[in-house]
Amino acid sequence: MDPFLTSRIVTDVLGGLTNGVTYGLVALSLVLIWRSTGILNFAQGAMPMFATYLGFALLSYHFGYWPCVVACVIAALLIGGLTERLLVHRLYGKPEINPIVVMVGFLIVLEAVAAAIWSSTPRSLPSPFSSIHWQLAGKPFALSPFIVYEFATALVVMAAVAGLFRFTNLGLQLRASALAPEVSRLLGVRVGRLLTLGWMLSTVVGVITTILVSANFFSGLTPTVMDGIFAYGFIAAAIGGLESPVGAIVAGVLLGVVNQFVTDYVNQDSVIIIALAILVVSLMIRPSGVFTKSTQRRV
Amino acid sequence: MKLAATSRRVALALGVGVVATVSALVGTSTLRDGVALSLAFDLAFACGTFLSLPGFKWSHPVVFRAALTLLGLDVAIVTTRFLGSSTNFNLSTGAAMSIVLLGLSFLTGASGQISLGNGAFMGVGAFAMAIWANHHATTPIVLTLVIAVACGALVGLLLGLPATRLRGPYLAGMTLAFAVSFTFILSTFSSWTGGDSGLQLPTAAVAPRWLDGFFHAGTSPLITTTLYLTDLSIVVAGVAFFFMANLFASRTGRSMRLIRDNDVAAELVGVSLPRTRVVAFIVSSAYAALGGALLTLIDNSVSPQTYSFALSVTILSLIVIGGIGTISGAVIGGIIYAFSTNVISWITTQTGLNPQGNVASQLNGIIFGGLLILTMLFAPFGIAGAARLLWHRVRSRTSG
Repeated sequence: MDPFLTSRIVTDVLGGLTNGVTYGLVALSLVLIWRSTGILNFAQGAMPMFATYLGFALLSYHFGYWPCVVACVIAALLIGGLTERLLVHRLYGKPEINPIVVMVGFLIVLEAVAAAIWSSTPRSLPSPFSSIHWQLAGKPFALSPFIVYEFATALVVMAAVAGLFRFTNLGLQLRASALAPEVSRLLGVRVGRLLTLGWMLSTVVGVITTILVSANFFSGLTPTVMDGIFAYGFIAAAIGGLESPVGAIVAGVLLGVVNQFVTDYVNQDSVIIIALAILVVSLMIRPSGVFTKSTQRRV
Repeated sequence: MKLAATSRRVALALGVGVVATVSALVGTSTLRDGVALSLAFDLAFACGTFLSLPGFKWSHPVVFRAALTLLGLDVAIVTTRFLGSSTNFNLSTGAAMSIVLLGLSFLTGASGQISLGNGAFMGVGAFAMAIWANHHATTPIVLTLVIAVACGALVGLLLGLPATRLRGPYLAGMTLAFAVSFTFILSTFSSWTGGDSGLQLPTAAVAPRWLDGFFHAGTSPLITTTLYLTDLSIVVAGVAFFFMANLFASRTGRSMRLIRDNDVAAELVGVSLPRTRVVAFIVSSAYAALGGALLTLIDNSVSPQTYSFALSVTILSLIVIGGIGTISGAVIGGIIYAFSTNVISWITTQTGLNPQGNVASQLNGIIFGGLLILTMLFAPFGIAGAARLLWHRVRSRTSG
């Protein structure tokens, strides 16, 4: 076989893409909420984490992987919806630090409650596909059935979100209520409900990411499993611009690849430092993200 | 009329001062203690007299704040003489933390920005202090503190430059990324920072000789040192509070509040947005560094685990609960920090939880996170804001 496919560079690119799609998904879920409600959800990692624990609680009743995934999605819908109705709902129109502080508080509470109920020792989740890397001519190739499954899932989720927004009536209403809530309300769009729906949708994207991450990484599922990925997801979303879903995904994937190269050629500790440096530089050049059209702020 | 009121007050204060001096001299066992205590009393009464003069707050604001600071320091230092060693230790960490809180309160209250990275800025000060002390053991403590603050300000400047162009969520996220990466930065420079085990100070802080004899003649040097460190932290905190109160009221402070309330209007009247924002950010990180450096001094060592992201979140919770954007909120937050561990272990024993269990170990997060949410939803200016509101309500009821 072609030795190129097992070379160091291809291995790094594939490994980077594997992490990058999860950053891209987190970034996408952040952008979904930011665009509709103007809130940067710091609990965007913790809410899906909680839903994943709830869904995979079915494992102890001898359910398989797929029923658990369905349960996770249902739990995510509930958590996303309830959070918006009970907590976030009170924050619209407040100074911009209020939602930041409340969501940081929610993050602490969710992680603490999860650790109190399920303890902070990692819990290993079953995986529907093998995560042992394929071999090419006796050399390890940086793909496994699980990674292919991960890529496929990520693509399906991204395509589903894009399709929902672009081709359905619901998507049109979602976009309208994000762009001009007052006008949409006059035209009969139920803006309040759509905001709830936006949070539910975003939590579902998050829970799918969490399921992939906690089965893929040998660290397993812990209350803090999403902390690091949230940080990278945020960096990606900020680089790409919180307004742009495509930008968030592209930036997430690229960040994953860059991180992989830094891990391989420098060391593990430098990864977040380099990512921070990229964030600082990109924000200095384009404060509202690389992929957004620079818009005037309304006064 | 006003003059008469003033002279009556001065006469009253003089009378009370004489009584206090005599009773202090009679009541204490040694002459040295008596002189010290009566000096403390007289200082308190002198400050109190200044403070109570009608209209003094507006005619001499700086002297007013200085008198208020002196009074607070006086009362605090006399009180610490009569407290136990463990309480004093808690108070010293609380004083160090209140400086950090003050910086964050200023950043948010004055310029409307928020930082999730002040724990890391604290770490910058803490490690700068330890590294400098390990290379230049003879430098006086005050100078080392100044160096630590300068390091904090420098890092604040580096991160503050992009921050000038960022609005709320972007800045919060960027400082979060800094807080998360700080422990990795420390381990990258492990030859300087001592890696996972951190650093010890080469010489433990020791109380000066002349302090030994006061009030507790013959107590062990350890207790005297704790007392000394507590008083040192309180004095540094007092100085920090004095400067901050003046900064709040200065031209810079006013332009920051204008930016917070309406940045477009601020630019129209000639306030430089980037410069003011970067100043606020530098002040906040310098204060955080000062608090961290004091904590290193108190603990006599520094460990990288202390300065994780969790600390930044704790700082945010404390100032929000105390009252963000207020000076008194930082004091309240510091006191909460000083005694939170005791209160939480008290709750654990009262509720009969297993101290090693999952719930007990997470109680801290559940309580602080819950309070953070509740405070922001129902009393956005925390305890200080709620108290102020209550005071205004009571006063308007009694006067109207």
